[in-house]
Amino acid sequence: MKRYSTVALALAVAATAACKDNPVANPIDNPTADALGGLTHATLQLLATGVLGQDRANADAFSYLGEPGIWARNVYRIDASEPRFVQETLGGNPDPGSFSGSGAWNGYYTAIRASNTVLLALDKAPPAEFTPAEASAIRGFFRTVKALEEWRVIEMHDSVGATIQTDDQYAVNPIRCKPAILAYVAALLDSANADLTTAGGATTFPFALPSGFTSFGRNYSSVANFILFNRGLKGKVDYYRAIDRTNPTPALFATAIAELTTALGAGPGAVPPSQFSWGPYYTFVAGGSENTPNVISDSKVRLNPLVLDSIQAGDTRRSKIVTTTTLTGFGLSSSITYSGATATTANQNAPLGILRDEELVLLRAQAEIEAGQFANAILDVNDVRTNYGLPATTFATVADGRNAVLYEKRYSLLFEGPQRADDLREYGMLNATYHRPETATDPFNAALPIPRGELNARNLTVNPACTP
Amino acid sequence: MNRIRSSVFSLLMLAVFSASAFAQTRRISGRVTVEGSGEPLNAASVTVVGTTFGTYTDDQGRFTLNAPDGPVTLRLRRIGYIQKTFPVSAGPADVNIGLARDILQLETQVVTGTATTVSSVNAANAVTVISGERLNKVPAQTIDYALQGKVPGAIITQNSGAPGGGVQIQLRGVSTINASFQPLYVIDGAIVDNSQIANGVNAITQAAGGNFGSSQDQRVNRSADLNPNDIESIQVLKGPSASSIYGSRGTNGVIIITTKQGQVGQNSLDLTQRFGTARISNKIAIRCFSSGAEVDAAGFDSTGFGAATNKCHDYQQELYGQHPFNYQTIASLRGATAGGTNYYLSGLVQHDGGLVLNDNYNKQSIRANVGQKFGGRLNLRANSELIHSLTERGISGNDNTGINPYTNFSQTPSFLDLTRQPDGSFPKGLAVNNTSNPFQNAVLIKTPEDVFRMLGSGSAVYDFISTDRQKLDFTLNGGVDSYSDHTRIISPATAYVEQVNANPGTIVVGDANILNATLGGVFRHQLSASAFTATTSAGFGQVRRNADVVQNTGRGVFPGVTNVSTATQIFTTESQDIVKSNSLFGQEEFLTLSERLFLTAGVTAERTSNNGDAQKYYAYPKFSASYRFPFLPPKTDELKFRLAYGRAGNQPLSGKYTFLTNIIIDGRTGYRSSTAVGLPGIKPETTSELEGGLDWTMFSGRARLSATQFRKQTDDLLLTAALAPSTGFASQTINGGQLVTHGTELELGMTPIRTNGGFEWVSNTTYSSNKGKVTQLPVPGFIPASGSFGSRFGNAFIKQGQLITVLQAVNGCTALNAAGTACPSANRILTFVGNASPDYEMGFSNDLNFGSFHFSSLVDWRKGGLGVNLTNDYFVGGGTLADTARARKMLSDFAKGTDVWLENSGFVKIRELTLGYDLPSSMSSMLFHGHAQNARIELSGRNLKTWTKYTGLDPEVSNFGNQPLGRFQDVTPYPPSRQWYLTVNTTF
Repeated sequence: MKRYSTVALALAVAATAACKDNPVANPIDNPTADALGGLTHATLQLLATGVLGQDRANADAFSYLGEPGIWARNVYRIDASEPRFVQETLGGNPDPGSFSGSGAWNGYYTAIRASNTVLLALDKAPPAEFTPAEASAIRGFFRTVKALEEWRVIEMHDSVGATIQTDDQYAVNPIRCKPAILAYVAALLDSANADLTTAGGATTFPFALPSGFTSFGRNYSSVANFILFNRGLKGKVDYYRAIDRTNPTPALFATAIAELTTALGAGPGAVPPSQFSWGPYYTFVAGGSENTPNVISDSKVRLNPLVLDSIQAGDTRRSKIVTTTTLTGFGLSSSITYSGATATTANQNAPLGILRDEELVLLRAQAEIEAGQFANAILDVNDVRTNYGLPATTFATVADGRNAVLYEKRYSLLFEGPQRADDLREYGMLNATYHRPETATDPFNAALPIPRGELNARNLTVNPACTP
Repeated sequence: MNRIRSSVFSLLMLAVFSASAFAQTRRISGRVTVEGSGEPLNAASVTVVGTTFGTYTDDQGRFTLNAPDGPVTLRLRRIGYIQKTFPVSAGPADVNIGLARDILQLETQVVTGTATTVSSVNAANAVTVISGERLNKVPAQTIDYALQGKVPGAIITQNSGAPGGGVQIQLRGVSTINASFQPLYVIDGAIVDNSQIANGVNAITQAAGGNFGSSQDQRVNRSADLNPNDIESIQVLKGPSASSIYGSRGTNGVIIITTKQGQVGQNSLDLTQRFGTARISNKIAIRCFSSGAEVDAAGFDSTGFGAATNKCHDYQQELYGQHPFNYQTIASLRGATAGGTNYYLSGLVQHDGGLVLNDNYNKQSIRANVGQKFGGRLNLRANSELIHSLTERGISGNDNTGINPYTNFSQTPSFLDLTRQPDGSFPKGLAVNNTSNPFQNAVLIKTPEDVFRMLGSGSAVYDFISTDRQKLDFTLNGGVDSYSDHTRIISPATAYVEQVNANPGTIVVGDANILNATLGGVFRHQLSASAFTATTSAGFGQVRRNADVVQNTGRGVFPGVTNVSTATQIFTTESQDIVKSNSLFGQEEFLTLSERLFLTAGVTAERTSNNGDAQKYYAYPKFSASYRFPFLPPKTDELKFRLAYGRAGNQPLSGKYTFLTNIIIDGRTGYRSSTAVGLPGIKPETTSELEGGLDWTMFSGRARLSATQFRKQTDDLLLTAALAPSTGFASQTINGGQLVTHGTELELGMTPIRTNGGFEWVSNTTYSSNKGKVTQLPVPGFIPASGSFGSRFGNAFIKQGQLITVLQAVNGCTALNAAGTACPSANRILTFVGNASPDYEMGFSNDLNFGSFHFSSLVDWRKGGLGVNLTNDYFVGGGTLADTARARKMLSDFAKGTDVWLENSGFVKIRELTLGYDLPSSMSSMLFHGHAQNARIELSGRNLKTWTKYTGLDPEVSNFGNQPLGRFQDVTPYPPSRQWYLTVNTTF
C-alpha cells in the first residue's frame, strides 16, 4: 500500500509541476508587422514588392475589367450561379453591400496605405541607409503609385467621390468630389515628378521591379523612364480634368497634350507603332506559390454582339474577338468573347498593360479634338488606325472626332481597363440613345456607390454628398 | 495569483484538520429491490448519511457496510430509480428496502466540479441529463442529431441533408460574435475537438473562389465521429453559472459525456443490428414545360422539345431518388470480475447511404473502458476508442461553376434528359457557364473524407483518508483526442464541368492533424457531520491544442491519376495553431439544514497563450444556492428553489497580432501590412450568468415541473470592428461592447397514466426561448464576418440596441424609377427586417408502454425566425419555378426593392418515432438457444414529417455551416431525407 501512496504522491507532484509550464506560443504561420523594423534596402524590397503586388491584385476581373465593360455595353457576364452579374449591372444598380457595388475601393486604399507606410518608414530609415538621390527616387516612385491608385478609385466612383488618405492611419477623411480628387492626384503626380527629377534620371531605384516594369519596351527601374510613366499618367488625369462634364477645365487640354507628348517622346502622328506596346504591365503566373492568373481568363465572359458587328472590314484587331459556345441567360445571349478570356495557360500567364503608349496616343488625340487641333488629332488617330490595316480617316467636328477615337479605343484597349466607360461617361454617350437597351429596365450605370463597409464605418446608410 | 493559491491551500488544510475524531463502528446489512416487482437491484449505491461510509449492492441486491453506532440514516441511489433515505435504529440491522423506478429522471448526479457531483435533488443549476437509452431511441448518424429536441435551451440545427453530419448546437442563444461559438465537448474528463475542416470542394465549386477549401464546403463538425451507443449519459451545462469551472472554454456551455463502464452484477453481451433506408423528404416545385413556345418564351432553346419522350423530367427524383441500404451493427460486452476489474468493450460498424449515387457515410469504432481497483485506496481507469469514418458527401451548397445539381436544374427546361444514356454517356448539361451535368458529376467526382481518431483518457484516484467523518482523495485525470482528417476531391478532366478550365482535372488533397491533450489533478476533501457535509476541492488543469491543416490542390491532372504531384499547376496552403492553457481552481460545497440547503462557492483562474498577456491569470468565480422547501403545498413531493451565478470566458482565437500579408510577384516575395489590425493586449470575453428557478415534483413522483430564468451578460466582446476601408485597413480587433441575453426554459415531465396492467404513458414537454441584445457597442454597426450574400438578400448586423440575431436587408424603396419598374440604388431602404432566431422552441416527447409493446415519439416545434431562401433566386431568375406567376411577381418586387427571399423558417418536425416489441422470453430463448436474457424488435424513423411555410428544401439549412450568426443562408443545399430503421436488440 505504501508503494501506491508513493506513486500517487509522485503523480500529484509531477502534475503540479506541469502547471509551471510557460503558456506562451508564438505565431508560426506569418510574420507580424513588428518584425520589419526600420526601412532598409532589404525591407524596402519586401515592402515595394508588397505594394506592387497589391496594385496588381486591384486589377481584378470584375470591378476593373468586367463591370466597366458591362456599363460600356462591351461585355456581358452570364453566370447562372450568380444572377447579380446581370441583375446589378445591366438589369439594376450595383448594391453597395454586394460584390457588384463594393469593388474598386478597399484594395486601392490598401495599396495607398502600403505606399504611405514605405514613405513614413523612409523618414525613419538609418541615416546612411539610402543616398539622397535614392531617397528622392523612392518618394517619387511611391507617390506615383499612390496617384495611380487614387485615380483608379475616382475613375470607378466618379460623381460619388472618393477620399484622400492621410498619415494618421485610422483617420476617416471626408468624401471629396471628383474635381478635388483629380486635383489631388494631379498635384501628387507633380510632386512625385519633382522628387524623381531631384533624384536624377541616371538614378536607378534601390529595389528590383517586377518584370512587367522592365520588359516591355522601357525599363522603368531607371528613374528617367519612370518619369515618362509619371508624365503619361499626369497627361491622362489632366485630360479627364479638362473634359470633366461636371467641372470642365478646357485650359488643361493643352497641358495634357504637352505632358502626353513628353511621355511619348514624339509629336502627333510620329509615334512609331512598334512603341505602342511600350509601358508598364501587370505580369501573371498561373500556379505555384505565386498563383496569380490573369483575371481576364474568365469562361463566363462574353462580348456584346455589337462589338463584332461594329468592327470595320480589314481591321486586324478582329483577331481579339473569337467565337465560342453560346451563353444564354437573363435575357442575354452571345457567342463571341475576347480571345484572352478563354481559359488557357497562355491566357492565364498573359500580361496586362497598365498604361501603354497606344493609349497615350489616343488620349492625346482626344485632347487635341477637344482643343480644336483636328489636324494633329487626325495624325494621332491614323497613327493607330493604319497600324491595324485600316485606311486613314478624317474628321472636322468634335462629334466626329470623338466617334473616331472611340472606335480606335474600343478595339485597341479591349479588356485593358475602364477606358471606354470613362469616355462614354464624359462624352454623355452612356445612355439608351447611343446603345440599344439590353433588358427591360436597363439603367445606365456610370459610378459605383461607396461600399457598405465604408458607409457603416461612417455611420451612414447612403452615399453622403461629396464635399468640393 | 499567489493570493489565490494560498487561499485555496488554506481552505483545504482547514477542512482536513477540522475533522472530528473517529467514532465506534458497527455493520449494517440488507437487500435492495425494485418497488412493486421485488426484483433484486444490483449496483445500487448505499451510503450512511452524514458520513463517508458507503458501498454498492451485488447481483442479489445485497449489501453490507460499516456505520457508526447509534441510529443512522441510509441513502440509496441508483441510476434510473428515485433515491430513498431509510432510517436504521441502533444495534445489529438487516434491512429490506425497495426503490421506485425514476421514470421522469428525478434523480441523477449532476456535475458541480472536475471531481465533484451533487444529486439533482440539491442541484442549483438546470442541468439537463440525458441517458444513453433516451439518446439512442432512434438511430442517428451522429450524436448531435440524437440530441435534437431533447435539451431545453438548445437549438440544434442540421446544416444540410448530406450524409455524415454537420449539425450546430447553440446553448442559450448567441454568446459571441467572433470567438468560439460551439459548446465544449468533454468525454470522460478529456476535452474533445469539434472543429469543422473544409474538404477543399470549393476548388471545384468556386463558391468562395480560389483553389482551397472555404466555409462553404458544407463542413462537418467533428463531434460527428463520436459513437452515441457508447454513451451512458450526457450532461448539458448550458451556461457559465454551471460551466465556469471550464474557464475560457465554458461560455457556450459544456456537453459532458460519460461513456459506459462495467459494473458488478452487470455481466452482459449486448448485440444490436439495425437495417434502414432513407427517402428524399422535400423537393422544390420545378416548372414543367408543356410546349416549345413556352420553352422559347422562358429564354431557352426548344430544339428537341417535340421529339423528347419525357417532357417533364423530375430531375430531383432522378438524381436524389436513391433508396440506400443502411445498417448499424453494434456489439458491447460489459461486466466486472471479483478481482476488482471492470470492463466495457464495444464495436460499431455503420453505413448510411446518401440520396445520390455514391454518397455515403461509414463509421467503425471500437472502445475499451477498463477500471481496476488496487487495494482499498487506488482506483485506476483507462478509456480508449479508435474511430474511423469515411464520408462521401458529394456536391451541394453555393457554387459558381454550375456544378451544383440545383444550379443545373434551375437552368434546364424540363424536356431535356440529363440522365446516363444506354451507351453509358451523359448528355452535356444545357447549363450555364459550362456543360456540367450533375448526373455525370455524381459518377465521376469523388469527395472522400477519411478520419482516423483516437480518444484516450485515464484517471487515477487515490484515497488518502477514508473514515466515517472525512475523506480525502486525489484524482489525476488526463486525456488525448488525436485525429487525422484526410480529405480528397477528385474531379477528373473527363467531367464536363472541368472542361472549361485552363487545366482540366482537379485534385485536392487535404490533411488535418489535430491534437487536444488534457491533464488535471484535484484534491477533494469531504467532511461529514450530523449537521452538514462540506466538500472542498482544489486542483489544476492544463490543456494543449495543436492543429496543422495542409491542403494541396492540383489542376491539370490526367484522368484516373490521383497523385497531386502530377498536376500541371499545384497550389499549397497550410495553417497551424498551438494553444496552451493552465488553470488553478478551488471550490467549497456545503450541504446543511437536513440536506435542504446547498451552497457552493468556487473560482477558476486560468491563463492561455491566446491572450495578449499569456502569463496573466483571469478569474472565473461562481456561487450558487439551492433550498428544498420544507413546507409543501398539497400533492407536492418536493419543491426546490435555486439560484446560481457564474462567470466563464471565451478565449480569443485570433486577433492578437497584426500580420504581414505575403504577396509574390515574379517569384519575389513581398509583404504589406494585413488589413486586419491586431490587439496586443487582447483578453478573453467574459460571460456572467445569473440563473434562477424552481423544481417542483408532485403526485408521488408522477409530475415534475422545472422552470428556469436566466440572464447572461457577455462583456469585452472580441470584435472585429470594421474600419473605414479608405484608411487602408478593413478591420481592427478590439475588446469591447456588451451582449445581454434573457431566456426562459420550462420542462414538464408527467406520467399521466400508469396502470397495474402494465400500461404507462410518460410525457415530457420542453419549452425554451431567449433573446439577446447588443447593449453596448463601442464601434459603428457592422456586418459580422460570418458569411452572407449582401444586404439585397439579407445579412446579420451588429448594432447597439438591436437584437444580436437581427437580420438586415434592403426592403423598400423611397421612390421607384420613372418607369415604376425598379428602385434606384440610392432609393433602397436598408432596414432591420426581423429576427433570424426563433421566438421559441418546444419539444414534445411521449413514451407509451403496454406490456411488451413500446411506442415513443419526439416532435420538435420551432416558432418563427427568418431565413434567406436564395435557392428560390436560382429558380425565379432561371424561369424554372413551377409557380411562374409567383416567380414573376418575386422578380418584379425584387427589382422594386423588396426582399422577396426572406421567409419564416419555423417548423414542426417529427424527429423521432419508434415502435418496439419485447419478444417473449420463451421466444428469445428459443431463437438464441437459451442464451438471450431479452430481445426487442423496433421499427423507427427520423425526420419523418415536416410542417412549415418555408418554401425551400429545409428551413434548417446553413450554406456556411456552423457559425455564431447568420446561419440562415439557404443556397441550393443537399435535400433533406426521412429515415427508417428496423432494429433487433438482444442481451445475452
